[in-house]
Amino acid sequence: MAPVQLPMPRLGPAHDVAPQPIKVVLNWGRRYSLWVFNFGLACCAIEFIAASMARHDFIRLGVIPFAPGPRQADLMVVSGTVTDKMAPAVRRLYDQMPEPKYVISFGACSNSGGPYWDSYCVTKGVDTIVPVDVYVPGCPPRPEALLQGILKLQEKIAAESLTTKGVRAKYAAHRTASAAEVSRPLVPPPTRGGGTP
Amino acid sequence: MTLERRQVPAEAWPEVVAAARASGYRFFDWLTAVDQSDDSEEPGLDVVCHLLDTSRPGSLRRLMLVTRVPEGQPLASITTLFRGAAWHERETHEMFGLHFDGFDDGTELGLRPLLLPDGFEGTPLRKSFVLAARASKPWPGAKEPGESEHARPTGRRRVSAPGVPDPQWGPR
Repeated sequence: MAPVQLPMPRLGPAHDVAPQPIKVVLNWGRRYSLWVFNFGLACCAIEFIAASMARHDFIRLGVIPFAPGPRQADLMVVSGTVTDKMAPAVRRLYDQMPEPKYVISFGACSNSGGPYWDSYCVTKGVDTIVPVDVYVPGCPPRPEALLQGILKLQEKIAAESLTTKGVRAKYAAHRTASAAEVSRPLVPPPTRGGGTP
Repeated sequence: MTLERRQVPAEAWPEVVAAARASGYRFFDWLTAVDQSDDSEEPGLDVVCHLLDTSRPGSLRRLMLVTRVPEGQPLASITTLFRGAAWHERETHEMFGLHFDGFDDGTELGLRPLLLPDGFEGTPLRKSFVLAARASKPWPGAKEPGESEHARPTGRRRVSAPGVPDPQWGPR
């Protein structure tokens, strides 16, 4: 599969020259409409689902768990054990998200590998493949811990001052990875006497 | 539910499985291997196959076939008897390095990796496989009670998972 040259991210011209009060308003809008894309890979995903349900209900914080796919999402929550087999898919879906994008690493496994540190197939933290904004510790963390992580991320978004130059500087380093490193072609079904397995 | 366990010689493996299939054990459940390379009498791999007889609802019969394959020897494949055994044999091949003679899953691609990431080297479920993660990258935190600066050391015995190398491999 030939690598696709994506255009560099940019902000609208109005945002670039907006005065500070307008930037505060724009940040306020972004921090409370985080469309979240849940990368549920293991048991931590259950806690994520619990956090989205009526008792903890992170929609009241503006986190909307109905993104149809990574292309419509602002926030990726990696909850669970990232394996080396899964890592290219995580990276590929992260690359499909539009900037500015944020990642919450939820649980011990995606923070660092967790109890599977000695394993032959578990990635030693999702931050080895994508940049992570907020780490939520725990095995698994309680839903309250995710709410706290979301609040931390919202504080971070409120404090940032986005510019086209800044966005490019933040994500440019991650666009240098070659396509072969992070993606693999779709696998067709096997055919008798040849073809891809 | 009754479970019958049968130890069979490796040479008779496909015949025994075929006979079991003919006698009603027509449901293939799973197949895997157990590393018995540290056995003093007969080192090798135990290949375990679990079959079920579902012909009488309410009274399932289970059959566990075990064979000891000597180190480095191949075993005859049972994919001609049970199509579903192909995934299990591929997994056993990549995890234990055991070769299956006459493997056929309908693609003629042979035994190829099933679960491990691309480019993985080694047979990770063997006892000889070294889990070198700690040697290549130190664990970012305290592993045992008392290792962090906030707590006093305890007299607890240090635990280490099987396969984790000793300290001379590097930091732990």
